[in-house]
Amino acid sequence: MRPPSRARATLAFLALSALPVGCDTGATEGRLERGAGPMAQEAPPVRRPTRQEAETVLRLPPADEPPGRHAFYWTRAIYSGSRGRYGWGRPAWATDFPKGDRQFLVVLERLVHLDAYDFENAVRLDDPDLRRFPVIYAVEVGYMDLTQPEVRGLRDYLSAGGFLIVDDFWGSREWAQFEWNMRRVLPGRPIVDLPLDHPLFSAFYQIDEIKQVPARGRGIFGRPTFERDGIVPHVRGIFDDHGRLMVVINWNTDLGDAWEWAEDPYYPLEYSTYAYEMGANMIVYGMSH
Amino acid sequence: MDAFFELLFKYRPLVFEQGELAFLAPGSVRLALLAAGVAGALAVASYTVARGRSVLVDRVVMAVLRVGLLGLLIFALLHPALVVSSVVPQQNFVGVLIDDSRSMQVADAAGSPRSAFVTDAFTPGESALLQSLADRFTLRFFRFDSRARRIDGLQELTYAGTHTDIGTALEAAQAELAGIPLSGLVLVTDGADNGARPLTESLLPLQAAAVPVFTVGLGEETLAPDIEMGRVELPRTVLEGSTLLVDVVVTQVGFGRATVPLVVEDDTRILAEEVVELGPEGEPVVASVRLELQQPGAQRVRFRIPVQEGERVDRNNAREVQIEVRSDREKILYLEGEPRHEVGFTRRAVEDDENVQLVVLQRTAENKFYRLGVDRPEELEAGFPRTREELYAYRGLILGSVEASFFSHDQLQMIADFVSERGGGLLALGGRRSFAEGGWSGTPVEEVLPVILSPAQSGPDGILAEVKVAPTPAGAAHAAIQLGRGGGTARERWAALPPVTVVNAVSEVRPGATALLVGSSDDLPARQVVLAHQRYGRGKALALTIQDAWIWQMHADVPLDDLSHETFWQQLLRWLVDDVPERVVATMETERAESSEPVRVITAVTDSTHIEVNDADVLARITDPLGGVKEVRGEWTVERDGEYAFEIVPEHEGEYEIEVTASRQGAPLGGDVTYLTVGPSEEEYFGAGRRTSLLRRIAEETGGQFYTPETVGSLADDISVTGAGVTLVEERDLWDMPALFLAMLLIMGTEWGYRRMRGLA
Repeated sequence: MRPPSRARATLAFLALSALPVGCDTGATEGRLERGAGPMAQEAPPVRRPTRQEAETVLRLPPADEPPGRHAFYWTRAIYSGSRGRYGWGRPAWATDFPKGDRQFLVVLERLVHLDAYDFENAVRLDDPDLRRFPVIYAVEVGYMDLTQPEVRGLRDYLSAGGFLIVDDFWGSREWAQFEWNMRRVLPGRPIVDLPLDHPLFSAFYQIDEIKQVPARGRGIFGRPTFERDGIVPHVRGIFDDHGRLMVVINWNTDLGDAWEWAEDPYYPLEYSTYAYEMGANMIVYGMSH
Repeated sequence: MDAFFELLFKYRPLVFEQGELAFLAPGSVRLALLAAGVAGALAVASYTVARGRSVLVDRVVMAVLRVGLLGLLIFALLHPALVVSSVVPQQNFVGVLIDDSRSMQVADAAGSPRSAFVTDAFTPGESALLQSLADRFTLRFFRFDSRARRIDGLQELTYAGTHTDIGTALEAAQAELAGIPLSGLVLVTDGADNGARPLTESLLPLQAAAVPVFTVGLGEETLAPDIEMGRVELPRTVLEGSTLLVDVVVTQVGFGRATVPLVVEDDTRILAEEVVELGPEGEPVVASVRLELQQPGAQRVRFRIPVQEGERVDRNNAREVQIEVRSDREKILYLEGEPRHEVGFTRRAVEDDENVQLVVLQRTAENKFYRLGVDRPEELEAGFPRTREELYAYRGLILGSVEASFFSHDQLQMIADFVSERGGGLLALGGRRSFAEGGWSGTPVEEVLPVILSPAQSGPDGILAEVKVAPTPAGAAHAAIQLGRGGGTARERWAALPPVTVVNAVSEVRPGATALLVGSSDDLPARQVVLAHQRYGRGKALALTIQDAWIWQMHADVPLDDLSHETFWQQLLRWLVDDVPERVVATMETERAESSEPVRVITAVTDSTHIEVNDADVLARITDPLGGVKEVRGEWTVERDGEYAFEIVPEHEGEYEIEVTASRQGAPLGGDVTYLTVGPSEEEYFGAGRRTSLLRRIAEETGGQFYTPETVGSLADDISVTGAGVTLVEERDLWDMPALFLAMLLIMGTEWGYRRMRGLA
């Protein structure tokens, strides 16, 4: 078993191919069981790089090395669901991937005294290796359509002590889709707004206001920050029986885009600053609780 | 054997040991003998020149025999004698100390108690032994158990003492007989000594005064069949809800390798039950009993093996132990040098433990810390404690992945002192900034650690190895690393856990340290020490060299309801702080005393930096079993810094509560509570077989002799030649020893037989 096996696969694929991010190369890792939801899709295929590609081009650790050389692996959750119509199109999980992840890690390591793996890492929700990464990140969850093994995998992950950060979905329709999936994962668990005095908002930076972080296009052109009917940003959470925050949900906001486009001089600093502050807080909090 | 020796050589071996050989023949006789010797030599020489039928060998043999015979004759004619110092009859005293404890009631195989010998041997007018002693010495009788006193007759013996202290008895008798000519002390006992002091202390004055002790050992050395609970190892205090693995030592004789139940109970209920397999005949076996104490407060816990059929001694099957179950919340500081998952998972593992408070100080950026679990907003506000007072407020310290250069030299020394002086528990965790990789080699903390630091191997080429963890034999029997109840042994339960990773190669423990968990991996040059511990000064230090114990909680192979991770951390942290001393600690020499037996209570007092205080006011509030309260003030002993003592003399049977408080110039320093049980003890029935080795040692070290009832007949004679007391020099003839004449006859007979055989006669 190697840590970022999925990460390595995806990363090598992205770095070495000229294909657009997230495109299907045809060499699939394996088929996922179809979900029961209205938008049931297959998880995106992943091509494993050759060993030479991995070791020489990307300078990744040896194939048989377990995760552990670093204290932290920024890990994306690969889940079923895509942004296209009728189940076709770009996989939702890979939005902003991997640029957003890499850029986030670069800045995160400057801000936080954290020994993080420098590259992105993506793991499927139904992969047992998911449990080697106690903090995971999921975006565009408004398109999430989990298969039954993914539901079970995520439920067990959260029950065992995992921490899920959710980001970049807008409006009531996408909320409904996400909520429907989370009800399958954690039936009966309420989703509540986190008050600003919650320790999450002071774990590293003191955050006194929940800001709406716009997508790149809206940010650089000064358009309204909201999308669809997602006018008010929320930070919500799901807790376990002991009061532990298992899931933190950034709704009606797009931290990932701010991380990805922070270097763009036209993207407002206010939003990228907030996004990095929230990112640092969520990671420090998630690793300490 | 001695009797046969005496038959041949006329006197007992002891007389030969004490006496010196001398020849009493006058000078003229010696001259005549010399002439006879010369004549004899000439006669022998004539053998060599004589001719006849004999060959050379014959002549040599007969010459040797003749010379031998002549030699014996000359020896006898020189009038050999033993010069011995012998006591003057009726001018000396002998103290007879008779064991008056309960063990003297133990019956031998024939059913007669040990005390029967005392009656037989010391009843006036009926005993030859008493008569022989009384003919030569003035006798003084003493009875003893935990104390000794003079008695006038056997009717004062009750055999009801609950303790035997031979040392105190010997000292008391010597003091009583001081100033009079003392030939020796006779100690009549089974040797079942349970005195608290080393016996050597009591023997030294006897050796200095040259008073020999003659010991008479009663009873059988081995009482069979019997089961005895030898020892129960239990800490003095324990945190509420802690799991204890109590070692109970059980010895059997005559029951074979049977299995017997072992019951642990308090006053009202059974706390645990185990089945113990008895060991080989006479060999103690250690049985481990798992025990959880949930009820806070002081308790007496009884470990008992039900009496088995036919047991010779039925009162040595149980032990009672006093233990205080604390419901305190022990504060442990966990310093982590960077955000790590270990922090979150460890906090979660112990969050349900009401007796452990984990305070986390996590460095999240340069000079920026994330504090968790603090009591006050200002606690650790400036980072890691800079003063002893601040650090010593914690009972345990966990060092995560943090480099040594993070600390100042004073802070490093303070961490070492935290363990050695404050008595705190230190736990060093593995990580890329830990151990050698964190630059800890050569720091004051290095020698505190129970492991030897290997050369550092950090960076991209550093070690990363996955290890499967298993307990060592010491670990398998250690309470702290048991993984909860349920099926399987500790080894099996550890084997079920997934591998974890290490980035610090640690393969050796320090001398005196113990490895409890080890791990193996192909990526490591040697077996990895995963968990080791050692005592260091007043405290203890642990090293857990893995970096991600959280995998035991998170890994997909671990069932969600598995509590191994929580159990591991709770037990480890409880163990880390379970015997950390308080600022004020009251201790007693014994937890059990007899009524009116004085008991000394020692109180150690330190200030907030754990420096001994010599000007404290120490006040003890003693509550007796009837509810009466008495206050006693402790006095500084002067012998040791910070040590105060007072004595209590309990009057009532039952439980005494002794609450000690210390203050300095009105400011409280702290307090402690200890308990004393007053009443008869069963201690006499433990180790109730005759302790021959002990009695022999007492006799040998003081110049006396050891006897059994069968050999004690020569006691009076032996005391006579010990040389102690008022003595006179006595010459005892040896020329008429039967052995001498037997030897002459033997030589003559041999010569005659040889001549016959060789046809020379």
